[in-house]
Amino acid sequence: MAKALNDTVGVKRAIKHFDFSEPYWEGTKQKKLVIQYCKATGKYQHFPRPVSIFTGRRRDIEWREVSGKGVVFSYTVTHRGAPAFRGAEPYAVVSVTLDVGVNFIANIVNCTAAELKVGMKVKPYWHALDDGTHLMMFQPDNGPA
Amino acid sequence: MGLRDNAIVAYAETKVMEKSDRDVWVLSGEILEDLLDKTGIDKNEIDGLVMAGLTGTGAGNPFWAQTTADVLGLEVGFCEQVHTGGCSAAGCVARAAAAIDYGMCEIAFLLFADTHVLEDHTDHSHSYRREWTDPYGLMGPPGAFGLLSRRYEAQYGLDYRMLGKLAVTQRNHALLNENACEKLRMPITIDDYMKSRMIADPIRLLDCVMRADGAAGLIMMSRKRAKQKGLTKTIIPIGYAERTNFKGGENLVDVTKSGHEICGKKALDAAGLASRDIASFHPYDDFIIAIMLQFEAFGFCKPGEGVQFIRDRDFSYNGDLPLNTGGGQISAGQAACSSHNLVEAVRQLQGEAGKRQVKDTRNALVTGIGWINYGRNWGSSAALVLVPE
Repeated sequence: MAKALNDTVGVKRAIKHFDFSEPYWEGTKQKKLVIQYCKATGKYQHFPRPVSIFTGRRRDIEWREVSGKGVVFSYTVTHRGAPAFRGAEPYAVVSVTLDVGVNFIANIVNCTAAELKVGMKVKPYWHALDDGTHLMMFQPDNGPA
Repeated sequence: MGLRDNAIVAYAETKVMEKSDRDVWVLSGEILEDLLDKTGIDKNEIDGLVMAGLTGTGAGNPFWAQTTADVLGLEVGFCEQVHTGGCSAAGCVARAAAAIDYGMCEIAFLLFADTHVLEDHTDHSHSYRREWTDPYGLMGPPGAFGLLSRRYEAQYGLDYRMLGKLAVTQRNHALLNENACEKLRMPITIDDYMKSRMIADPIRLLDCVMRADGAAGLIMMSRKRAKQKGLTKTIIPIGYAERTNFKGGENLVDVTKSGHEICGKKALDAAGLASRDIASFHPYDDFIIAIMLQFEAFGFCKPGEGVQFIRDRDFSYNGDLPLNTGGGQISAGQAACSSHNLVEAVRQLQGEAGKRQVKDTRNALVTGIGWINYGRNWGSSAALVLVPE
């Protein structure tokens, strides 16, 4: 039976950014997923770092917009959340392998417990925050590419 | 000189408490007193203090080891706090041995004292968590192990009842351990495990470690010094290795593999042993599945065959591979800077485990797991092989 999973869009969030993550958050203002790319190795990395995790150098990092599409790598359903999330349980946290080869942890919306599977296709869902940025979440991707 | 030229000559341990009724330094003083009484050494002979950095009470104090030396009246040539999370206890043994080898100290007091239920100053705010997991309500270690377990299940399949078997075995051991936390000293069944409430599905309540308060300690010196002092029940570390940030320079990894693959091989090679030679196994247990992953990483069985291995073996203290014979942290309580499994291994090899004494005391393998990284498994892995003199 399809058991509904709650979403977490009603949760109030005030997120403190590291200064080296700012280009990511700037991108989210236009609902763009902008993550770090290492020019020297041709590989992406997430979460943002002050250096390339592949070469150790700042100068190898650039920021590139990516689709945010991917497949669910794993998921967990939280039955008792942190204080800000009380009342939203049970909600899912997913780890998604983006099509550029990094894992991204986020919530998923518009998804039932029965639908949620490792390997399922997902795409971005942008949740507006009070500071003008958006929080990247995922939703099932049932449409054509 | 090397690791195996050093010896653990004594251990001490308080009972694990759901919440301490005494200050952490009172517990530290009890441990010091017990160790001095057991070894007959004079307080002023101690010239090394090695403390685990995995402390909630001490977390807010950047001068924790020095302050503790002052409180206990210790003057030392080596004052150290080891920051490898749940690997810290085993890490203290290796660092004390290195300091003794180097001549920085001759007699080291290893102290694992924490009252993180009574008084916790832990602060994760300068961490990836604030931007990348807290906003999504991922619940720290249980959430991370929920993601890890579900991924393992997708790759290999996972019979959760076999995790329950490990939980029951460890609980039975806690029933035989008077120092285990009283709250946890009640029998459970595999059905109890399966029915325990979901915390971070598929992580259940009975998968999880419970934070508790307590203290433990060891005294280390060179083997030569121990012989001179007539200390006979000595335990020798014959292999140690650790790995922090396994595959940290890669962007996408198999999360069912950990740094234990590297440090386990290194420690066992140094000891001249294979996993099949291990007489008792004392793996770090913050979640039950971590034990199964370590069976695979240390080569007790192949990757993906952990469930079958658990089905085939008897992990009780009198079984064919005794496992966390004091109850592990999950059934004794996560106290004393996660040193429980190390102290239990020393006790077993000294033949002092009473009703739960293992028959085969040729060696023991102790491990550590420390810190939770982003979307992987854990940040530090450690392995320590011990043998009696």
